[in-house]
Amino acid sequence: MAEELVGTGGAASDPDGPDGVRMSWNNWPRSKVEASKCVIPVAASIAPIRTSPSILVLPYQPLRCKPPCSAVLNPFARVDFAAKIWICPLCFSRNHFPPHYAGISEANVPGELYPQCTTIEYAPPPLDHHSAQSSAPPPPPVFLFVIDTCLIEEELGFLKSAMRRAIGLLPDNALVGLVTFGTQVHLYELGFADVSKIYVFRGIKEISKDHILDQLGLSASSVRHGAAVGMPGYPKAPLTNGFHPSGSIHRFLLPAADCEYALSSLLDELQTDQWPVEAGSRALRCTGIALSVAAGLLGACVPGTGARIIALVGGPCTQGPGMIVSKDLSEPVRSHKDLDKDAAPHFHKAVKFYENLAKQLVSQGHVLDLFASALDQVGVAEMKVSVERTGGLVVLAESFGHPVFKDSFKRIFENGEQSLGLSFNGTLDINCSKDIRIEGIIGPCTSLEKKGTLCADIVIGQGNTTSWKMCGLDRTTFLTVFFEIVPSERSNQSGIPNPQLYIQFLTNYQGPEGQMRLRVTTITRRWVDGSNAEELIEGFDQETAAVVLARYVSLKMEMEEEFDATRWLDRSLIRLCSRFGDYRKDDPASFTLNSNFSILPQFMFNLRRSQFVQVFNNSPDETAYFRMLLNRESITNSVVMIQPSLLSYSFNSPPVPALLDVASISSDRILLLDAYFSVVIFHGMTIAQWRNMGYQNQPEHQAFAQLLQAPQDDAQVIIRDRFPVPRLVICDQHGSQARFLLAKLNPSATYNSAHEVVPGSDVIFTDDVSLQVFCEHLRRLVVQS
Amino acid sequence: MASSSPPFASGPPRPRPGFAPSANANVAGAPQISQIGRPVPSSAAPSAPLQPSPFSAPLPASSRPGHPQFASRPPAAAFPQGLVASNGPQGLAAPRIPPPTHAQPTPPVGAPASIRAPSPSAASSQAQAVRPFPGSPPAAAASRPFTSPPSSQQFGRPPISHPLSGSPTSQPPFGGPPTLQPPFAGSHPALAGLPTTQLPFNRPPTSQQFGGPPTQQTFTRPPVSQPYMGSQPYAGRPSPPSYVGPPSSQPFPGPPTMGAPSGTPAPAWPSQPRQVLPSMPGNMQAPPRMFGMPPGTPGHTMPPVPPAMGNSPLAGSQISTPSKIDPNQIPRPLPSSSVTLFETRQGNQANVPPPATSNFVVKDNGNCSPRLMRCTMNQIPCTGDLLSTSSMPLALMVQPLALPHPSEEPIQIVDFGESGPIRCSRCKGYINPFMKFIDHGRRFICNLCGFTNDTPRDYYCNLGPDGRRRDADERPELCRGTVEFVATREYMVRDPMPAVFFFLIDVSMNAVQTGATAAACSAISQSLADLPDGPRTMVGIATFDCTIHFYNLGRASQQPLMLIVPDVHDVYTPLHTDIIVQLAECRQSLEQLLENIPNIFENNKVAESAFGAAIKAGFLALKPTGGKLLVFQSVLPSVGIGSLSSREAEGRTNVSSGDKEAHKLLQPADKTLKAMAGEFAEYQVCVDMFITTQSYVDIASISVVPGTTGGQVYYYYPFSALSDPGKLYNDLRWNISRPQGFEAVMRVRCSQGLQVQEYSGNFCKRIPTDIDLPGIDCDKTIMVTFKHDDKFQENSECGIQCALLYTTVYGQRRIRVINLSLPCTSMLSNLFRSADLDTQFACFLKQAASMIPVSSLSQVREHITNLCINILHAYRKYCATVSSSGQLILPEALKLLPLYTLALAKSIGLRNDGRLDDRSYWVSLVTSLPISLAIPLVYPRMIPIHNLTAKEDDESLLPASIPLSSEHISDDGIYLLENGEDGLIYIGNMANPEMLQQIFGVPSVDGLPSQLVLEQFDNDVSKKLNDIVNEIRKQRCSYLRLRLCRKGDPSGMHFMSYMVEDKTPGGLSYVEFLVHVHRQIQTKMA
Repeated sequence: MAEELVGTGGAASDPDGPDGVRMSWNNWPRSKVEASKCVIPVAASIAPIRTSPSILVLPYQPLRCKPPCSAVLNPFARVDFAAKIWICPLCFSRNHFPPHYAGISEANVPGELYPQCTTIEYAPPPLDHHSAQSSAPPPPPVFLFVIDTCLIEEELGFLKSAMRRAIGLLPDNALVGLVTFGTQVHLYELGFADVSKIYVFRGIKEISKDHILDQLGLSASSVRHGAAVGMPGYPKAPLTNGFHPSGSIHRFLLPAADCEYALSSLLDELQTDQWPVEAGSRALRCTGIALSVAAGLLGACVPGTGARIIALVGGPCTQGPGMIVSKDLSEPVRSHKDLDKDAAPHFHKAVKFYENLAKQLVSQGHVLDLFASALDQVGVAEMKVSVERTGGLVVLAESFGHPVFKDSFKRIFENGEQSLGLSFNGTLDINCSKDIRIEGIIGPCTSLEKKGTLCADIVIGQGNTTSWKMCGLDRTTFLTVFFEIVPSERSNQSGIPNPQLYIQFLTNYQGPEGQMRLRVTTITRRWVDGSNAEELIEGFDQETAAVVLARYVSLKMEMEEEFDATRWLDRSLIRLCSRFGDYRKDDPASFTLNSNFSILPQFMFNLRRSQFVQVFNNSPDETAYFRMLLNRESITNSVVMIQPSLLSYSFNSPPVPALLDVASISSDRILLLDAYFSVVIFHGMTIAQWRNMGYQNQPEHQAFAQLLQAPQDDAQVIIRDRFPVPRLVICDQHGSQARFLLAKLNPSATYNSAHEVVPGSDVIFTDDVSLQVFCEHLRRLVVQS
Repeated sequence: MASSSPPFASGPPRPRPGFAPSANANVAGAPQISQIGRPVPSSAAPSAPLQPSPFSAPLPASSRPGHPQFASRPPAAAFPQGLVASNGPQGLAAPRIPPPTHAQPTPPVGAPASIRAPSPSAASSQAQAVRPFPGSPPAAAASRPFTSPPSSQQFGRPPISHPLSGSPTSQPPFGGPPTLQPPFAGSHPALAGLPTTQLPFNRPPTSQQFGGPPTQQTFTRPPVSQPYMGSQPYAGRPSPPSYVGPPSSQPFPGPPTMGAPSGTPAPAWPSQPRQVLPSMPGNMQAPPRMFGMPPGTPGHTMPPVPPAMGNSPLAGSQISTPSKIDPNQIPRPLPSSSVTLFETRQGNQANVPPPATSNFVVKDNGNCSPRLMRCTMNQIPCTGDLLSTSSMPLALMVQPLALPHPSEEPIQIVDFGESGPIRCSRCKGYINPFMKFIDHGRRFICNLCGFTNDTPRDYYCNLGPDGRRRDADERPELCRGTVEFVATREYMVRDPMPAVFFFLIDVSMNAVQTGATAAACSAISQSLADLPDGPRTMVGIATFDCTIHFYNLGRASQQPLMLIVPDVHDVYTPLHTDIIVQLAECRQSLEQLLENIPNIFENNKVAESAFGAAIKAGFLALKPTGGKLLVFQSVLPSVGIGSLSSREAEGRTNVSSGDKEAHKLLQPADKTLKAMAGEFAEYQVCVDMFITTQSYVDIASISVVPGTTGGQVYYYYPFSALSDPGKLYNDLRWNISRPQGFEAVMRVRCSQGLQVQEYSGNFCKRIPTDIDLPGIDCDKTIMVTFKHDDKFQENSECGIQCALLYTTVYGQRRIRVINLSLPCTSMLSNLFRSADLDTQFACFLKQAASMIPVSSLSQVREHITNLCINILHAYRKYCATVSSSGQLILPEALKLLPLYTLALAKSIGLRNDGRLDDRSYWVSLVTSLPISLAIPLVYPRMIPIHNLTAKEDDESLLPASIPLSSEHISDDGIYLLENGEDGLIYIGNMANPEMLQQIFGVPSVDGLPSQLVLEQFDNDVSKKLNDIVNEIRKQRCSYLRLRLCRKGDPSGMHFMSYMVEDKTPGGLSYVEFLVHVHRQIQTKMA
């Protein structure tokens, strides 16, 4: 715990380093056998476009190694300045510098060869055949709002005000579109001047993209008929060389500056869905069709340019494709139990539908963001695939009036410091030294199925490729790449094995301002002889390892039936400790772990208890939500999800980290728990009493006021930087909301041990084992022969 | 749905969707018995003449009187004189002397407010008697007794002598002197005394023999003043000017002696019992006439035209004398613009109704008004054999909500309270005047099934000495042929539906660019004022191109909200509420929207039309309530459900490969629309289509929808943004404001012996006995055919009862019960005598229309010609006295049948050169066409308008019409021809420029577009012409698409194609046709 805090707050204010790459193992075993003995997969957490002020941006095209390697020139290349030759560190090919590099010399090296520039960005001028138009502005961002209207008035009111605020924040050039849905889907033709024009689609019938386009007059055939270009009623759109979609763009997607008024008035008039809801029934809601329509529209209007579908959903889809539950209220929304027993009749069909939607979106390069706000489930579990594959954002809240939604929603549109740096159309290519294969990626991306020699046979997550699509990505998007070590015969035999391995990550993306960039990150790590545990231990990153395990186990839980995650984790931990711990056989007391491993058991203990593994306390929607965020967050934040951090505030001392243990509760302390999804400020009983009596308002108790305020301020710091905005819970000891804290604490004191409890402390009513018990068992099992 | 349950089935009456039986809320303060049938209270009538005429303003925008324009039509206002009372007796007592020779039919003065329904008093005999032909003696045919049946000779020409025939026509006016009768009467009773029109072909008749006027007639009037000509029909048929003959030259007793050769069987009236009843005009027979003889009057200047029969096969059969038919002497409709009074029954006998096209006022005293229901024959054959011998059809034309004449007593409403109307417990027939009460009134015998019912206690009443209930005259249901019962809960499966009008407008590129969209929006906008008032009136609107655009009318905000349904293969409604809202709540936003729609779609480049999907969407919106769907469509449906291909082009290419399957293009392309229409009908959605197009839209396919749902097709081709908006507006306005009903079910019952064979018209039929009419209005006619399943007793009566259960626009559920009781006869001659030409012809017309999609045109033409021939043959064979085979003998009542048959064969529907859509439209139009419009459709009215100034006598508004023959068209003339749909103004190439200047405002019409907007200029001629056009519009309930036809260009050819009496490349002239018919009969006889 302490180490972690030091890690984040201290020297490495940037724990991910300049490259944004963290690996479970920084020294790689050279053989497959050794790798398997390492238990923890060899994996890297990468942040493809993490912002960093030090990054150099080069205004020209990168220099690439000859195919099939095609790696980009990087500081690890060996350069023969005299011969004007560079040797690719990945494939060892010799490449001549092109003529325009003629001036290169030891004293005059281009930016990409600076040793500190292992991560660098290229912003080449657009390849433009029409040089006259080379100054064409970058494409504007596109936001297509998809709004649920099967809401109660109050919720719709919240939603409208959130929308109004969002519209106010949109950049003027951003293209905006609007779709609402309930029993039917309404697509607003914002560019139609004379009347409010709405295309209505029925919610029960699945329609193909082509059909949608046909019906909107956007398909090739209808364009030929002049439907799109000459549609009446909207101002003459500038036609660019008769370029097909340009006409249609301006029917449904308008610059925010032009349609702000129209949008506001539409919002003003927006009513809850008018179709009647029968007694004993859910509202008929066709989320699936609405998203289909939105995707189809974007596909026709702005294919290949960055665009987001922002879906605001207030309930489950009850009709049409993507339906998760029937309208009959007597049928409850599926639970984990139903899913396990395969008793969720709509689940697989819906997932299939959203998979296809994801495919469509990926091929168009568009993002689906999901803002689900409802007390019941809305189908995040089913829609997860669409969101995750497209790199969309997801926020789950109880209400459109809740700050979790309101503030998160606002963040999307904010610029400046708070900006998420939302980027589009990312493509990640990974290149690496021989003997390394890529198993796949867990995270918000889609395999482009670009197979090659670098692909491993085993597939984890999005695999079978060396190229991935990230329709949406931002500076906090992280991916986990899994590697396989496949030493070739030759490298084993070669007398002088190359001690370093190299991996290059190439990310093409369209930045928030629409500019196209290529980011190149080249990293190197050391091969070690697997038999030498010392070297391996030295290169072990237990935080990354814990997160990788958490992601890996989550994936397995989703993919494999009857998978016993707890057992699998236990066995992995035991194997790991057996391999890397120091102990005498059959002597639990002799067991010690290197500091690089020391808190891993605790991570495992908390992971076993976390929402990722213990899903039965959560709805499938929540689980899906948690896992999506786990998969896309940084190692640091992911660790907090697994093992929350706890700060203790008391008089006469600065805030100190506290053990994540029930023992940390004290009546005269304030605890600040950061569990990532929620931030809990917990007032000890005495503090709460004082506060209730209003001491903080009395001048003589300034200190108390400060004490009360400090955790609030710190919580705000946490909340400000985080997306989605965590739920802030302020509670008092013994209050009902205190459960948010208690659930996360190590139950070192339970009702079984109540008699030992110190006054002012607390107990947790659980039968779960405590960390101490867990560690004892671990020791015992590890040392067993 | 309601429709699934047969409300009139013999089971207990099943409720229909309808309204609560509560009081008669509709007619203000109406007690138990109130009036209906008149859209405007009679008090409005006097004011009507002051109102702008509904049609007077070509541009709807300019004419928006406070009253619905059409509504002002029925009230008579037109004829302020109110001459009924005085005129009738006058006519009876002393036939008026027609005005001197030059007198034209004098249009009634200031008759603008009355459309179609002639005023009761109208015009009087004076106008009718007019002989336009110069030189005709004034005395001619002046007498036009109101009570006399219309069957009389229409030619107005006094027969001079009867050549060979000696046919029954020679009938002593006073009942037939026994001396003439006896020899033959006994032997050929069936043949005797039939009114007959004979056309001698073999020699020029020297004299015309006329049959004696009907005996009754002769009893009622002084013989001197009542020439046989007095039987001249009062039908509003134009009289050819050249037929005038002086009746005075024709002594009554003369004809028999002159014309009837002793060798021929003497015409003897069959001694019918009712013959002695003086008050039975219904039995009056028209005097038989001979035709073809040169007029004996010195004033007759027209020389006999040599018959165009030189090469006729008939010539071969002529023995001695060269055949000569004077084209001026062959039967043609006669004009009549005066009003007659028609009592449906007299002396407990059914009267024969006047021609449907004539101007009459009905007094319902037991039988229904013939407007509502009339039969092809006014006596029912006792056996099926007799019927088939006659070759005539036995069918009923029912126009259940037909507009009454303004002078008629309104239909009375009877409320039986909660128990509902009295019905026969076996056949469920409704109480009517022909149910016979027996046993001191304790029981009654159903006239339909013969079952003896107990009289409900509440309904008991003593019988009087005459065997009638003492209260019969106080109870409308016991003394009136037509009454309306207030329906009880039993007749409803739901509350009566509100009046819902859903407008659907084509906004595809073509529609917008041709101005059709703007015209539709403007028409709707102006028509909103004519929708029924009140909270039960709801409206909705949608537009469509390749998608469907709904509009949220329920929003308070100013900007309309357009909701687009893009899935045209599987449509749905985009809102649950607010698509259809109360008119009162959304009038403003709707008007604004209608104003905006043309602008919104101004630049629409979508050429596709999802018509099928659009009507489906409209239907879905209407599904909860039912209602009227008014569709404005401009192009061929090309996408979505029910889309169609341009079969016309396909048809053209197929022509080269043989025309055998051409008629298939007149069938619906597929079953999609039919199936949709069935569903619409089930949910009480009635579809009307206004087709404003420039191209082929496959009416054959899309007319299925209106045809099944009780709607109607309006066709504007080629649509002109200049001239058609006026018609569009007036059509729409009449469509929504005319008397009409919703969610109706109709059933016809008849006495045992007959059974209903088939219904035809615009409806949906789910069970054999009933027809479902999601919408029914005053213009819709349903044909019902009968067949015998048993024999009738001679002298018994056959009852026919039509019951229409419907919901009024004000949400009341009613049962309109229409009764007709006709005598049964076993005499073929009676059948012919009582034949109803108009009804029979309408029946043929509808038969032909139904055949067009399934047979080749030549087959259809042959079929109708054969129908005509078979009837004439039957008459010739069984009824006419044996005479020279060279004579064509026509039954008097049916003497115009050959002319109409010829005209039908040359009509748009049966012409070879017509466009597919024109033909399909014609078929769809005919299917529901009322009798009164059927005849003008095939035999239009043509009037010269170049000599309007010559008229000073203003009594009759319309000049006399002239025969449809190019002989009557001169190069310096200007003519107006109208068939109820189109109005063609033909301008000869030597027309007087001054006249053109006066009419059109330009000295030459070369620059004028052929689609004409008739302006009114400040001169008498123009005013008069406008008055005439407006009068026609009123009569036809149709605005007429006016077109300019110039001699020498295609429009002139088009005009000439209406000259049905002319010889055409594909058709015979009238004379040739008569020869053809005659030859066929002769062949059959031999």
